[in-house]
Amino acid sequence: MQTTKFPGIFESQVGRKRILLTKNFVKGKKVYDEYLHTEGPIEYREWNASKSKLCAAILKNINQIGIKPGDIVLYLGASSGTTPSHVSDIVGSEGFVFGLDFAPRVVRDLVFLAKDRKNLAPILADANKPETYADRISTVDVVYMDIAQKNQTEIFLKNCNLFLKPDGYALLAIKARSIDVTKRPSIIFEEVRRLLEREMKLIDYKTLDPFQLDHMMFICKKK
Amino acid sequence: MATKYLFTNLLGSFVFDEQFKVVDSIKFSSFDEYNDSNKRQQTEQKLTSVHNPKFTTQQLLEKPNSKILQQILPYFKSKDNFSNFYSQNMALTASLIKQAVNEDDFIIQAINNIEEIDKVANTLSKRLREWYELYNPEFSRSIESHEMFVELILSKTKQELLKEIKHDENLLGADIKKQDLEPMLNLGRSIHELYSLKQKHTEYLENLMDTYCKNVKAIAGALIGAKLLEHAKSLKHLAALPSSTIQILGAEKALFRHIKTGARSPKYGVLISHPFVSRAKQKDRGKIARALANKLALAAKVDYYKGEFIGDKLRAEIDKKFS
Repeated sequence: MQTTKFPGIFESQVGRKRILLTKNFVKGKKVYDEYLHTEGPIEYREWNASKSKLCAAILKNINQIGIKPGDIVLYLGASSGTTPSHVSDIVGSEGFVFGLDFAPRVVRDLVFLAKDRKNLAPILADANKPETYADRISTVDVVYMDIAQKNQTEIFLKNCNLFLKPDGYALLAIKARSIDVTKRPSIIFEEVRRLLEREMKLIDYKTLDPFQLDHMMFICKKK
Repeated sequence: MATKYLFTNLLGSFVFDEQFKVVDSIKFSSFDEYNDSNKRQQTEQKLTSVHNPKFTTQQLLEKPNSKILQQILPYFKSKDNFSNFYSQNMALTASLIKQAVNEDDFIIQAINNIEEIDKVANTLSKRLREWYELYNPEFSRSIESHEMFVELILSKTKQELLKEIKHDENLLGADIKKQDLEPMLNLGRSIHELYSLKQKHTEYLENLMDTYCKNVKAIAGALIGAKLLEHAKSLKHLAALPSSTIQILGAEKALFRHIKTGARSPKYGVLISHPFVSRAKQKDRGKIARALANKLALAAKVDYYKGEFIGDKLRAEIDKKFS
């Protein structure tokens, strides 16, 4: 097990494959069907790149992810908690994750996940209406968004504007297919980039193939 | 007088001065104090009477004031707050999930279950027929409906069944010992059980649709209506859909193929199983589906906004056109 340049994230070589791992926040418990690796007293959870866009972005050598131990993270589009569980691993007991999703069905899973993880608060709300959940969260160090909505860039900027601290990092996973199926993904990414650069400082962006098709991860910093 | 802001969130009620420092606060000790609007108002009232704030929580949450809210929220980003954020959010989310369950969910689960029972019963019936044909192939060949087949082989003997289909002789069926016959009849009983379960669920669905969206049901019938609702995810969303979308609900794959590659557009989705559409000639189906979708869009809106029953009128208009 070796450390990566991102604190809280570890890597290992399995055959010719490079895999990422995070320290398991709840020892002995799996969240989805990931593998657990034990080394000495510490247990690690393998991070599946085809299930998590954040993991895919790191494997594609994105130069910054912004999330580090002790951070407060607003996670929009938490779904049933696959990636949020790893974010919760990374920020550890000093940090905190607000996991937000719109669908009651998946937030139910998230509540069960949060029962074990005291650093993850499940929130049922619509990310498009920040004012409806502004009284449930605080300002955060990092905003991470992965929702499949047509106006996801607009939603992202709205949330960063209200909840992200100055100089805080913000990550945006874009699914080209959910913005417009007919347009070429590269054109959509170009449009998103232009929108982001208007209000944020763009740091890096990476396409996520072969792990996820027609996806791109953007990382930016609040001006 | 200095401007003051009153902001109530999950943690408590706070008064900020114009430097956005907290001057006074009352913290909630339980979820109930936040959730119960009476108690919350009392708390806010206590602070309001002392400090007379210029902005209340309600005003701060409105869009034009987001600049002020931006200055207030950093106060809560402190380590001591997170265990409270955790427990209050857990309680709030749990109660929101609890409230979110409604008839939409029941209808969607019921229609999905009816379809699944159908699938399972079909698979098992095919196996039963294969099995039973060792014993009495003539009878199995003579009857098409699985449901009838299962019912008859359970209630009558081989001789009676052969007489019924006027086959005097059993040429191909083997004589099977009782102990070998019993397992296949057991399977038959289970399948029979499945069909009666499906019957019960269909009745339940009919009742549900009758109370929840009777206009949609009057035009499309309980099963198709429920399928439309399943594709739209909720009656609220179905009521918001234009009729052109309702027309092709269930044909998403064909629709996206059409958008992407320019292939022919789909003319109908789940509406294909509606008798008007399925009975019509190929070239008329699209038109009939469009007319049906028109009326369904009206019906869904009336259902969602709890209007009067106009399903029979709408139905009569289509009946006049197509039958």
